[in-house]
Amino acid sequence: MPTPIKMPQLGETVVEGTVSRWLKQPGERVERQEIVLEISTDKIDTEIPAPAAGTLLQITASEGQTVRVGTVIGYIGAPGEAVVTEQPSVGTEQSPVTSEQSPVPNPQSPIPNPQSPIPKPTGREFVSPVVARMAAEHSLDLDSITGTGLHGRVTKKDVENFLGTGDKGLETGKTTPSPQSPVPTLQSLTPMRRAIAEHMERSVRTSPHVMALFEADMTAVVRHREAHKAAYAAKGIDLTFTPYFVAAVAEALRANPQVNSSFTAEGLLLHPRIHVGIAVAVPDGLLVPVIRDADELNLAGLSRAVNDLAERARANKLSPDELQGGTFTVTNHGVSGSLLGTPIINQPQAGILGIGKIEKRPVVRSGGHPLLPSADDAIVIRPMCYLSFSFDHRILDGAEADGFVGRVVQVLENWG
Amino acid sequence: MATHNYDYDVLVLGGGPGGYVAAIRAAQLGLKTAVVERENLGGVCLNWGCIPTKALIHNAEVLETLHDAADFGFGFENLTVDFSKAVSRSRGIVDRQTKGVAFLMKKNKIDVINGHGVFVNSHSIRVGGSEYAEVKEERTVSAANIILATGARAASLPGVEIDGDRVIQYRDALVLENLPKKLVVVGSGAIGMEFSYVYNTYGVDVTIVEMMETVLPLEDAEVCAEVEKSFKKAGIRLLTGTRTEQVEKTDAGVTVTVKNVKSGETETIEADKVLMAIGIRPNTDKLGLHATGVDTDKRGFVGIDEVMRTNVAHIFAIGDCTGKLALAHVASAQGIVAAETIAGVETMPIPAERYRFLPRCTYCQPQVASMGLTEAQAKAEGHDIKVGKFPFMPNGKAQALGARTGFVKLISDAKYGEILGAHIVGPDATELLPEISLAQMMEITPAEIARNVHAHPTLGEVLMEAAHAVEGHPIHM
Ligand SMILES: Cc1cc2nc3c(=O)[nH]c(=O)nc-3n(C[C@H](O)[C@H](O)[C@H](O)COP(=O)(O)OP(=O)(O)OC[C@H]3O[C@@H](n4cnc5c(N)ncnc54)[C@H](O)[C@@H]3O)c2cc1C
Repeated sequence: MPTPIKMPQLGETVVEGTVSRWLKQPGERVERQEIVLEISTDKIDTEIPAPAAGTLLQITASEGQTVRVGTVIGYIGAPGEAVVTEQPSVGTEQSPVTSEQSPVPNPQSPIPNPQSPIPKPTGREFVSPVVARMAAEHSLDLDSITGTGLHGRVTKKDVENFLGTGDKGLETGKTTPSPQSPVPTLQSLTPMRRAIAEHMERSVRTSPHVMALFEADMTAVVRHREAHKAAYAAKGIDLTFTPYFVAAVAEALRANPQVNSSFTAEGLLLHPRIHVGIAVAVPDGLLVPVIRDADELNLAGLSRAVNDLAERARANKLSPDELQGGTFTVTNHGVSGSLLGTPIINQPQAGILGIGKIEKRPVVRSGGHPLLPSADDAIVIRPMCYLSFSFDHRILDGAEADGFVGRVVQVLENWG
Repeated sequence: MATHNYDYDVLVLGGGPGGYVAAIRAAQLGLKTAVVERENLGGVCLNWGCIPTKALIHNAEVLETLHDAADFGFGFENLTVDFSKAVSRSRGIVDRQTKGVAFLMKKNKIDVINGHGVFVNSHSIRVGGSEYAEVKEERTVSAANIILATGARAASLPGVEIDGDRVIQYRDALVLENLPKKLVVVGSGAIGMEFSYVYNTYGVDVTIVEMMETVLPLEDAEVCAEVEKSFKKAGIRLLTGTRTEQVEKTDAGVTVTVKNVKSGETETIEADKVLMAIGIRPNTDKLGLHATGVDTDKRGFVGIDEVMRTNVAHIFAIGDCTGKLALAHVASAQGIVAAETIAGVETMPIPAERYRFLPRCTYCQPQVASMGLTEAQAKAEGHDIKVGKFPFMPNGKAQALGARTGFVKLISDAKYGEILGAHIVGPDATELLPEISLAQMMEITPAEIARNVHAHPTLGEVLMEAAHAVEGHPIHM
């Protein structure tokens, strides 16, 4: 019997994948574990090895096609062997479906049976009073909203999503060539772009964001880095600034456990372990690989982790599980030149720390009164850095948030 | 019919209200289905939960009416009360109900495989004997899809062993041969409250120990206060805000040491028995789950998505073992979604945020039924709300029944009218809830409920009045 090739489960939250390229064509011989195709998901691109040796008999998901995890995308068997796919038995209304063949339904909505599509009820479209009121207030045409309720009923949530996303029924995913020139072209969204868009939108909707801005004098860190760069390089480690920030954040998280938490309706979920995500820019988007138990690593360990994760993120070699489970995120946007950013929280975390560009700036240092003019005042030039902390105001208030960033600054300024 | 080589299209592990309902729905959709059950069809619900408790509770309700007989113009020279009859009536009902499930299995051509199932790999389960029943011959069955519906069992406090004699759990409490003189109930969720009501009515001296500030801690604060008032009036001692520190067996019974959380004062209570009603633990530990890669949380509950799929695509989980809302109707609803998803037909997923809008019921007197947010939760989540409350007292039907307590409280969104919460305490509260839960699901608002003509005289009129009250114009007030 032919062996099916299936869309693999590439991590807990991955529900579908897109076939990017078949490396073998039907009729070609494949060895067990030989790479037969490449796929991409919203998080990651990866290669799929053959589950068995034999001849690639049939491809059932062609390049560019997106299918749910578990769906059969091809068959391997003996040369010439017939692939038996299920025929809907005639006469029965609901033909039984099995897992191998089961049309895997979309969990977000009522699932139409592909074998007996549910006819759209006509004339009895129910509009609930709540939806009617919302539609009246926003002058909405309900026909332009996709309903996810039973039989396609438009629910309050659908209206909210419609209002929130401004989805005007545009068909995305296709590039419409401009027939008469000065028409905007529609660039299709990559799975990663779509995932980022969805996540950012949801985050802003979920968490009331507040930002606290601090400034750190990086002299101690720069000095330490200059002194140790060569020794680290000898060990094969590229010592960047990021691990210093991760170390300071991990220590501050330990001192302020409520920052290492998630908001739930039942209460604050305090995470016992500290897993710090670091935002890494990749060719068509952004990935946030996670350094697990960051508080248990020293500077060398953190440096290795940062090097390794960033490198593999850019090479698209991370496993999906390395992109999950973070309890806090650090984004070093300063590397691309910005002084100050207002990052959006990586849900369901309590906050995200943005790190600006480190640059020499004039600052006032004084041996005298902290605020009154004094003969001991001096303007000095120091490597300075803005730390912007976006936090979920449902979880933290200003004072707590400040306590946390203050601790980060304190660790950085007293490094060594 | 199948293009796979497994024995079944769907194998359901556990025959409780989650499992047997999932099996029926799968069979209706033409899938070849089997249920593995180590004890009795119907699970906790039919054998040790919903059904037998409701039978005992009805006995207590009849007895309570007899206690008030003079109000109705009856007198008894010699009222005899035989608790063992209440137990045997309850067991008789269980017996009939489980036979009914067995019949449904046969009718739908579902194979029932007796024994305890353990995963061999993610598609195969070995069925053998267990502490519950021996099995003559072990066998291994395989299936393309598997639904975990193994339920849960009673939890105890750390270091307190349930011995079934002096420290008991719900299974023991359902079949007591003799009534204790004095009973301590630890925990005041639905189970603790229901047993307290039954035993107190039968003359047992009952003390409830609850760590939270109120009994039924998940309910709306006004509901809790109403129930507390009734329980105290009935002579039940309520120790809320009190932690159970120690349970010691003595020659005569048990000594329970409790501590007031706020004041720190401790007290020792001597009793014949103590009933542990502090919650449940999932039956996911002796399942060989590691052979499948299915993830559980720290407490052992299986993680699922909105169509009940676990992290392993062909394995689904439903009911108490998922730790969502441990109630039989939730297990059944999840089972239907799982079966429909496997069959690939239209279903109505249950996303995580939906669970709190599913009905929650407690069947003591006064009954409590609720769904959605409490007033405190709605406020804490920043909703701009309208609240309508109406008591049962002025209602003619309630008076005819002799009911004096309780109310209906509706909470709705001030802007669009969406129902955010419903809280009913009083006569037949649990039977009144479905109107509101249907309205909530269909996004019908109190304005329409108020204008839906309710028959007179019925308890349902109180619901209508509460809806009027949300709109600011209760009639009989
Ligand atoms: C005292 C009490 C009163 C209750 N009252 C109510 C009520 O009024 N209303 C309400 O909605 N809910 C009530 N509940 C809760 C309700 O009983 C449960 O929510 C419901 O039974 C859960 O159903 P289930 O199918 O998930 O699991 P269960 O009913 O626990 O069924 C699981 C079944 O799986 C079997 N099993 C487990 N592991 C294996 C294995 N490895 N192999 C084979 N078989 C296995 C068990 O023997 C059991 O029969 C009550 C519970 C209790 C304890």
